[in-house]
Amino acid sequence: MREEMQENQNQPRRKRIRFWNPGEYFDYSLLFIVVFLVGFGLIMVYSTSSYTASLDYGDAAYFFKKQALFAVMGIAAMLFISKVDYHFLKRLTLIAFLGIGIMTLAVLVVGSASGGSTRWLQIGPIRFQPSELAKMAIIMYVAAATTAQVWKLNDWKVLVKIMIPPVILTGFIAIENLSTAIICGVIIIAILFVASPKYSHFIFIAGVGVLGGGLFLLTAGYRMDRIDAWLNLETHPKGYQTLQALYAIGSGGIWGKGLGQSIQKMDFIPEAHNDMIFSVICEELGIVGGVSLILLFIILIWRLMLIVVNARDLYGSLLVVGVLAHVAVQVLINIAVVTNTIPNTGIPLPFISYGGTSLVFLLVEMGIVLSVARQIKIRK
Amino acid sequence: MPEVKTYNRRKMVILFFAVLFVAVFLIGRLGYIMIGRGEYYSEKAQALHERERAIKAPRGRILDRNGVVLAGNRPVCTISVIHSQITDSEQVIEVLSRELGISEETIREKVEKVSSREKIKSNVDKVIADTIRSYHLDGVMVDEDYRRYYPFDDMASKVLGFTGSDNQGIVGLEVEYDSVLQGTDGYILTVTDANGIELANTAEARQEPVAGNDLYISIDANIQSYVQQEAEKVLIAKEAIGVSIIVMNPQNGEIYAMVNAPEYNLNDPYTLNSDITYTTEEEKQNALNQMWRNFCINDTYEPGSIFKTVTATAAFEKGVLSVEDTFVCPGYRIVGDRTIRCHKTTGHGLETFRQGIMNSCNPVFMDVGARVGVEDMYHTYEQLGLMSRTGIDLPGEATSIMHKQEDVKEVDLAIMSFGQSFQITPMQLITAVSAIVNGGNLVTPHFGMYALDAAGNRIETYEYPVENGVISEETSATMRDLLESVVAEGSGRRGQVEGYRIAGKTATSEKLPRGNGKYISSFIGIAPADNPQVITLVLINEPTGIYYGGTIAAPVAQRIYENILPYLGIEPVYEVQDSEAE
Repeated sequence: MREEMQENQNQPRRKRIRFWNPGEYFDYSLLFIVVFLVGFGLIMVYSTSSYTASLDYGDAAYFFKKQALFAVMGIAAMLFISKVDYHFLKRLTLIAFLGIGIMTLAVLVVGSASGGSTRWLQIGPIRFQPSELAKMAIIMYVAAATTAQVWKLNDWKVLVKIMIPPVILTGFIAIENLSTAIICGVIIIAILFVASPKYSHFIFIAGVGVLGGGLFLLTAGYRMDRIDAWLNLETHPKGYQTLQALYAIGSGGIWGKGLGQSIQKMDFIPEAHNDMIFSVICEELGIVGGVSLILLFIILIWRLMLIVVNARDLYGSLLVVGVLAHVAVQVLINIAVVTNTIPNTGIPLPFISYGGTSLVFLLVEMGIVLSVARQIKIRK
Repeated sequence: MPEVKTYNRRKMVILFFAVLFVAVFLIGRLGYIMIGRGEYYSEKAQALHERERAIKAPRGRILDRNGVVLAGNRPVCTISVIHSQITDSEQVIEVLSRELGISEETIREKVEKVSSREKIKSNVDKVIADTIRSYHLDGVMVDEDYRRYYPFDDMASKVLGFTGSDNQGIVGLEVEYDSVLQGTDGYILTVTDANGIELANTAEARQEPVAGNDLYISIDANIQSYVQQEAEKVLIAKEAIGVSIIVMNPQNGEIYAMVNAPEYNLNDPYTLNSDITYTTEEEKQNALNQMWRNFCINDTYEPGSIFKTVTATAAFEKGVLSVEDTFVCPGYRIVGDRTIRCHKTTGHGLETFRQGIMNSCNPVFMDVGARVGVEDMYHTYEQLGLMSRTGIDLPGEATSIMHKQEDVKEVDLAIMSFGQSFQITPMQLITAVSAIVNGGNLVTPHFGMYALDAAGNRIETYEYPVENGVISEETSATMRDLLESVVAEGSGRRGQVEGYRIAGKTATSEKLPRGNGKYISSFIGIAPADNPQVITLVLINEPTGIYYGGTIAAPVAQRIYENILPYLGIEPVYEVQDSEAE
């Protein structure tokens, strides 16, 4: 430690950024929670998809195998990135942000249709959702930009200036994928909120957000439709999916029907392994299983908070705030949707729901978090 | 590098608690759904998952008095398709069309219909079903079922009736005793996926079907079969349109046989048994309804001379007639302003009442009817059940068509006295004559005797009302004696059976309108005359050639008695001839 301090003092002010992470601490608790969630997610993807997969593809493990491959890739990426010094990311921020901006535009022009909206981009054999990458790019950009001007954050003009590029990107995303745009918005606000010493700006932003959101919903017909379905779930034709999820949750009871015993997954819930997977978890594992999973997510967020609070520098801290906001908002919205607490919007449950892009980039984000955690100085 | 400041940490903690707050709210929401509303949602879900699959209960059999099966069950199959399981719809359509003989368009429509299950055909013979099964077509279901089967084809067709495709009685005893014969269907409660496909090992509850009860009826298959042969013989010989014969126990109303030739094939009840041509579906349906009719109870006719037994009974009951009273028959009688002829236009001359009934002399009965008077005549009709239905256990019993009592004039009474100008069913006639000869007890004619459940326990014994003493024993004895004379020496001579004392009466009724040359020739025979055990009514509808009841109907009864009396254990007695020889 002392050697490093001395080294720093001897370096010129704009030092060369290391590639390899010099940190010594490793947050095994976080790693354990993440690996546990991924493992549990794989089990639930198998449980929810095996029946329909064997009917549609003749292979009960069809979705499981694909998801397991992504999980292995994702965990490898996570471990690798945790070894990389997160300051190195600063150098990639602009390229990543512009690149993903172009891809997001590209998806609007040439994206292949899937599930009604165009959200996929195919490059060679790889097919992915740029919007999943966009979340990470926004985290990187906002964290870097905020760190650079943190002493001027009292000024609302600076705040707005930082927000302009990511809000434009979020606007592009919102055209096709409102739910992801909401997540991006929350990430931007969360990072700025933690970085800024002020509260008033954010009360104002919250006010604008509520007003704007309300107007936005009221002006688009199909969104009103979703609200109608939410309010009249049992009679509205578009309420089918959520109603089936409620049937699943309601039949879980205290201990559930037992792992693999769900009936609602037998095609009653369309694509039960996707956004609605939490309902099948409740049906099979009961309220005990459902609440345990929510508590596990809270522990994960608590671990992330500890890293935010103890991070070596503000940049690392704000990166983790972004990841925390990303995970938290997805968990909360997903569970709120399956319990019909809010209108239906397609957001997967982090680490659990089926979906390769989402899983891999979540694990990459966790890699960044682990990298930040490595450089925490433990006071002995 | 900027450091993490205290206010950053504070704000992070605020953010964490905000997340925690929402998470706790969602846990509360989850608790409300899973515990507070759990029952509601799980019931709804269960209703969505469960399908009830019926297990058909076999219908009870109908057996004759000796346990011979008259109506039983045969295994058949129901073919249906499940849209979502079909893999090769073209092959399914082709095979089903070929094996079942249904047009491809009809099957295609059902195959392509998106439903959980579509029935293609029921009552498919097991051999054909096994052939279809051997193709192992995905999405084609073969379910075993029972079909009504009548081992004797056309025996007692108009009595037994038949069942529809859903095994429900349509006519005859099948409908009268439907509730007894119908079993209670069982069911299997299974869990299915969203497409209605049953999930393996999920049968949650099973209710076994309860088989229907076996009905034992008074018909004796041997007697029925023999009587049917005789009826068909005379039907052909006399080129008649129909021959109806009832054989009954006059003491208790049990019917041993009821034949309405031509009968129809119960295993194929929708094929006409005659060459009637039809052009419309309605015409065919009318022809079928006609074919299924049971003349003995569904139709009425003018009973003619057999009804003279009723007139005589009324007179004896009133005490205005004795057997040795004398009458003069000039071949006609002038009643009021009308001249009514006797069938023997030259007249029977001077005769006693006994000779009058043996000759079936109309003027004698016109006089007797006049002695009785309208009021007492109707009273006797009432007593003998002629003003109401017999109460037989078959559906659609017709009732008599009678003049209103207050409208009956002198002439009407005279004509009614020899059995014309009103109509009754053959069943009413045989029931009335039974009461006349059995000592005065009006029985309820019937088939159903008792019902046994599938395990053989008697669950029901049918009892029928008997009205005792509707006429006096004395009158009954007199009538037996007189009717025996009719067969022994009178118009019913051809009804004699060697070794037995037979009583009887003949009739030849001209069908309406008069003068069209169409008759119903009939004979009622009672054996033995001194202790009636069997009463038989033979009706030949529109015979060609000779149409006298005594000539063509009496011999039919004779042949029936020759066979069934020994069969029923009634021994021949030769006393009569012996005493005459002395």
